[in-house]
Amino acid sequence: MADQEQDRLLDHDYDGIREYDNPMPRWWLWIFYATIVFVPVYYLLPGSMGAGPGMVAEYEAEVAAYEASRPAAGDGGASGEALLALASDPTALANGKSLYDMNCAVCHRADGGGLIGPNLTDDAWLHGSAPTAIHATIANGVLEKGMPPWDRLLKPEQVNAVTAYVISLRGTNPPAPKAPEGVVETPAPPGS
Amino acid sequence: MSAHVESFSYDDAIVRKFLWATFIWGLVGMLVGLVIALQLASPWFNFDTAWLSFGRLRPLHTNAVIFAFAGNAIFTGAYYSTQRLLKTRMFSDGLSSFHFWGWQAIIVAAAITLPLGFTQAKEYAELEWPIDIAIAVVWVAFAVNFFGTLARRRERHIYVAIWFYIASIVTVAILHIFNNLSLPAGLLKSYPIYAGVQDAFMQWWYGHNAVAFFLTTPFLGLMYYFMPKAAERPVYSYKLSILHFWTIVFLYIWAGPHHLHYTALPDWASTLGMLFSVMLWMPSWGGMINGLLTLRGAWHKVAEEPVLKFFVVAITAYGMSTFEGPMLSVKSVNSLAHYTDWIIAHVHTGALGWNGFMTFGMIYWLAPRLFQAPLFSKKLAELHFWIATFGILLYVAAIYSAGITQGLMWRAFDETGRLAYPDFVETVVRLIPMYWVRVAGGTLYIIGMCVFGYNILRTWMARPKTYDVPVVSAPKLPATYVDPTPVPAGAGLWARFAAARWHHRWERLPLTFTVMVVLAVVVASLAEILPTFLIRSNVPTIASVKPYTPLELAGRDLYIREGCFNCHSQMVRPLRHETERWGEYSKPGEFVYDHPFLWGSRRIGPDLARVGGKYPDLWHVRHFEEPQALVQNSIMPSYAHLGRAPLDFEGIQARVDAMVMLGVPYGDAVRDAPGQAREQARTMAEAIAASGGPAGIGDREVIALIAYMQRLGKDIKQAPPVTAEAGARP
Repeated sequence: MADQEQDRLLDHDYDGIREYDNPMPRWWLWIFYATIVFVPVYYLLPGSMGAGPGMVAEYEAEVAAYEASRPAAGDGGASGEALLALASDPTALANGKSLYDMNCAVCHRADGGGLIGPNLTDDAWLHGSAPTAIHATIANGVLEKGMPPWDRLLKPEQVNAVTAYVISLRGTNPPAPKAPEGVVETPAPPGS
Repeated sequence: MSAHVESFSYDDAIVRKFLWATFIWGLVGMLVGLVIALQLASPWFNFDTAWLSFGRLRPLHTNAVIFAFAGNAIFTGAYYSTQRLLKTRMFSDGLSSFHFWGWQAIIVAAAITLPLGFTQAKEYAELEWPIDIAIAVVWVAFAVNFFGTLARRRERHIYVAIWFYIASIVTVAILHIFNNLSLPAGLLKSYPIYAGVQDAFMQWWYGHNAVAFFLTTPFLGLMYYFMPKAAERPVYSYKLSILHFWTIVFLYIWAGPHHLHYTALPDWASTLGMLFSVMLWMPSWGGMINGLLTLRGAWHKVAEEPVLKFFVVAITAYGMSTFEGPMLSVKSVNSLAHYTDWIIAHVHTGALGWNGFMTFGMIYWLAPRLFQAPLFSKKLAELHFWIATFGILLYVAAIYSAGITQGLMWRAFDETGRLAYPDFVETVVRLIPMYWVRVAGGTLYIIGMCVFGYNILRTWMARPKTYDVPVVSAPKLPATYVDPTPVPAGAGLWARFAAARWHHRWERLPLTFTVMVVLAVVVASLAEILPTFLIRSNVPTIASVKPYTPLELAGRDLYIREGCFNCHSQMVRPLRHETERWGEYSKPGEFVYDHPFLWGSRRIGPDLARVGGKYPDLWHVRHFEEPQALVQNSIMPSYAHLGRAPLDFEGIQARVDAMVMLGVPYGDAVRDAPGQAREQARTMAEAIAASGGPAGIGDREVIALIAYMQRLGKDIKQAPPVTAEAGARP
């Protein structure tokens, strides 16, 4: 830093405040110049380092890169038999129950009796009662009725577990259930 | 030096008034801040009371701290220093008094109307139109008083502090007037004349420069007076003052769009905002360097003088936040920080550190002089310093980590390419411990404030029975001025240019100086404003986007009244983690009927841009009643009162009419808005009752709000998508 001898007082005196005629710090000026030079550089830099193709084009590239690297989408990976098997697997049911309590109970009630969403314990079904149909309803959702597509939020094995738990709810007869909606179906034929 | 000497006195009574107002409103603003900090840690602190809820109080906190605390601090310091730097009493004691009482009345009006839900929904410009007019009138009175004083000065040249006051006064007037242009739709209700993208642009042109010309330049002016006074050292570099003043004034104006990175604002504006913010780094630091280097040779005084301690921390905080600002404006950094607490931490470094500590240091220096008694206790001032410094550190450390934590959680993908934290509330729950630490930090700062108040009060109590009013004398300025260092005849072009000392010449021509400032500000503003409004490709129209129905419009006004935008954004950014979480990214054409825009700036709760149709109506009914019943761990307050309050159907007509005047094509709704609204409400209420919900909510406020929320983000999904889809961009 400038030593005292460099300080030259100007003839300014404002209410006793004096000012030195010191030069601007060199490093300060150089960084300032560098930020100015950065402006044209930024416009010229290639790719996302510089101004680039714009945020929408960058977004589309990001999505395309993800789609290209994503493993081929399966059918959810579970057959009707596998889902039925899970419905009697205590570990899967326990997982399914905790996921259900966290995500589904707000609309279908903790006991599955139905609230905003339909009753899951009776024999009437709006979108099919076959294990694969239930799986599809959970995974893809029914947007126009307010059921979100859960495969966006849950992992495949989690969707399977919730499906298994929902299958297990059928016939549990909770108190004061919501009135039946949809088509009455006979209990699940395995693997449809 | 033959001019005759005049005698006069300074008006310190007005300075004392502003000093007390600074303390009182500061304490109020900070206490409101503490309440809303508690509300984020636990929604219980909303007390189930509409006017005490976070959405209503948050604007009160920001307005109180900015305009009441910092505002009165500016006036305290400016009234004291201006008179002395210009060697004259204020132009008019009447105007000074009008300014003081007018400003306090505006603050009281804000403190009443904001909790009652009267708001324009634009950050730091929430106050409704009658109060906006009052602000303009009082500000003009201040300006007349200030420039009148300038005209009567007995000091030929104006000092750098005065330059900063000039820039602040004229620019705040310009910003305030043009951002608040709106059409009244009732005594305390208005709609901005701008919509969507343009409204967002104007708002952040204003919002960013409120930070610049209300919280930065006036305080730099204060620093240039009180720092050399307290340190009893000359200012380090006059040249640096000149360059950093003009570059701040010119560059700051451009930086506003950095508040809107990755939104529907066009790329070019966003890029300009970023580049100018980066260029602003060194000009901002010019103030820090001049402040800190002024202390050369006086550092030993810092150890024993609390005033200087406060100044050193203030200037350091200023330096940190003006480095952080340019960094946050870099798009890639911003994509992480935007909508998170990082921004809250950033502004609190500025507000608590820079503005708060400048104010405290200044008042500790002023109190003995104004109350003509020694400061009651230097020890207590030291105590205040350490408590408040520790409070700031606790506050910002907690909130920086909260912001970065949440930003990282939002963008995290797991190995299958799904969001690692798809459940939004999970990213909120993680922050709660840090919110409690913030409460602790804020409480310490407020305790410091109380120690400060006590110290000043005791100093005041030791004042003399009547204040001594010293008579000052100074020679009247002669009508003509001869430059003591004239341009040497026969000199070269450069030598003549340098010898003319053109800036020093401007300093004795305040009118020229002011015109130059206005020119810098206006040219910089128009360079961005004109293209924003004139280039049509900025906002490609989407044929399926239609105006809100009368009921939805009423619901939107309730959304505004409750301050929902304080916690919920309505802007999906074109980033994969955003579109995975919220749905398709937002398009500029979706907001053409949004007076005002409601994109928000902080996601305390989830984004709502695409919430329409995501949940059934009944879900919303129950969620407003008791959010925690549907979303465990939610920190949203209950809005049960919306289910009880009757909806003002008849009032909708005036609102639709105002929208029509703003150019929203309403067609038939213009004639019978209430009827249409009733019909839509009845249909919705019947469906809700049929699906097992409560009966009789068809005439309650909640139905309008649900109608609005169910509309959000749906229009672009409707056929026919003429110019919609990803291809429509400039």
